[in-house]
Amino acid sequence: MKRFLIVALTGAVLSGAALAQQGKAGDYVWNAPDPEKDRALAHKADPVAGKVAYEVCRGCHRADASGRADAIYPQLAGQHTTVLIKQLVDVRAGRRHNPKMEPFVSAEVLSAEDIGNIASYLALLPTPTNNGKGDGSKLALGERLYRENCVRCHGNYGEGSAQAFYPVVASQHYEYLFKELQMIRDGERRNSYPEMVQVIKGYGDDELRALSDYMSRLVLPANR
Amino acid sequence: MNGDKFRKIAALALLGALPAASALAQPVGDAARGRELVEQNCIACHGVDGNGPVPSFPKVAGLHYEYTIKQLHEFQGKRRPSEIMQPIAAVLTEQQVQDVALYFASQRAVPVDTVDASLLPLGRKLYEDGNSDSGVPACAGCHGTEGRGNARFPRLAGQFQEYVVAQIQQFAEGKRTNDKRMMQVIANRLTAEEVQAVAHYIASMP
Repeated sequence: MKRFLIVALTGAVLSGAALAQQGKAGDYVWNAPDPEKDRALAHKADPVAGKVAYEVCRGCHRADASGRADAIYPQLAGQHTTVLIKQLVDVRAGRRHNPKMEPFVSAEVLSAEDIGNIASYLALLPTPTNNGKGDGSKLALGERLYRENCVRCHGNYGEGSAQAFYPVVASQHYEYLFKELQMIRDGERRNSYPEMVQVIKGYGDDELRALSDYMSRLVLPANR
Repeated sequence: MNGDKFRKIAALALLGALPAASALAQPVGDAARGRELVEQNCIACHGVDGNGPVPSFPKVAGLHYEYTIKQLHEFQGKRRPSEIMQPIAAVLTEQQVQDVALYFASQRAVPVDTVDASLLPLGRKLYEDGNSDSGVPACAGCHGTEGRGNARFPRLAGQFQEYVVAQIQQFAEGKRTNDKRMMQVIANRLTAEEVQAVAHYIASMP
C-alpha cells in the first residue's frame, strides 16, 4: 500500500511537472534522471511476471508484441529494455504525448517494477520480420540517408543501442516509423533526441518515407 | 546460431515452462460449503449454478476465484456500488467469501442463445482486434481470446448481453470505478453500436 502511494504520488508530481512544461518542447532534457525510470531500470527484472503484466498491452500490441502495420501500434518484440522503460515512463509522465495509451500505463495500472518486468519480457521475444513495409520504390535514397545520418546511433542493422537508449528500428512497421519521424521532425514527439531533430529537420515527407521503408526492411542478425 | 539468439531461445523456453504467477496461488475455501451459502443467499438472482435466470443479474459461473473475491470485497467496502449486492456481501465472513468464490469458479457458464446474429461480425472484430482509430484495445488482450478471463480480468464468455451493456454504461458514466480507469476509458471510446455488437458477441461465446 505504501509502495502504491509512493508510486501514485510520484506519478502526480511528474504529471504536474510535465503539464508545466507543455508548450515548451525546447526545454526537454534528453533522458534526464527520473525517479520512476531509475527504479524500473534498477529493478531486478522478472520476465515471467512481465508476461502477466503485459496482458494490459496485448489488446493493442498483440500477444506476440508484433503490433500492427497501421501507423499506430509499433512492434515491441525484441526492443531494448532501456528503450521500453524510457518510453513507457515518458508516456506516463506526459513527456511523450500519447493520450490513447496513457490510461493503460498509469500508476494505477503499472508500478515501476511492472514496467521493468514488462520490458524484460518484451526484450526476450524474437522480432517478427513480416512487419509492414513500404512500396520499395525509394530504397536507394533511404539507404543513402540512413548511412549518412542514422547509422551512427541506430547501427548497421538497425539494432540501436541498449546502453544509449537508442531503439531498434529494424523490422519496425513502415507506417509507424514514418509517422514517428514526422512527429520528431515537427517537434510533436517531445521526448526526442535533440540531435536527431536537427538532423531530419530539413527532410521532406518523401525522404522520411524512403528512410522508413529502408529501416522497415533491416533485419537484426539474431533474426536471420 | 549466435550466442544472443541462443540466450533468447533458452529464456523463452523457460518462460513457457513456468506457470503464470497467479496459478501458483492455492485457493483456500470449501466449494461444498460455498454451495450451501449459494443456496441460501445467491440462488434467486444468480441461479444455483451461477447461470442466473434473468439478464439483469450477471452470470457468475466460471468467474475466477480471485476475481470473485475482489468483487465481493469491493461490494463490502463500497468501492463497487450496488444497492443489492452491498448488504448481501457485507454479512459474509472472509471464509464465506472464499467458499462462495471457489464454488462459482467450479461452475460452467452457459452461452446465451438469444443474441442478434447480425451484430456478431462487428462484435467479433472488436473483441479480437479492437478499433485502432478510436484507441479501443481488443477485449481479447485482457479477457483472453476465448473470453475465459483470469485472476485479474473477469470471464466474459456467455455473459448476458444486457448485463455487459449495463456495465459498459456504468463505466462510461463513472458509476463503476473499480477498474483502475481502464474500462472507463474504453467505454467512453466505444460507440453505442459497438457496445451492442460486442455485448452480443460476448454473450454468444461458448
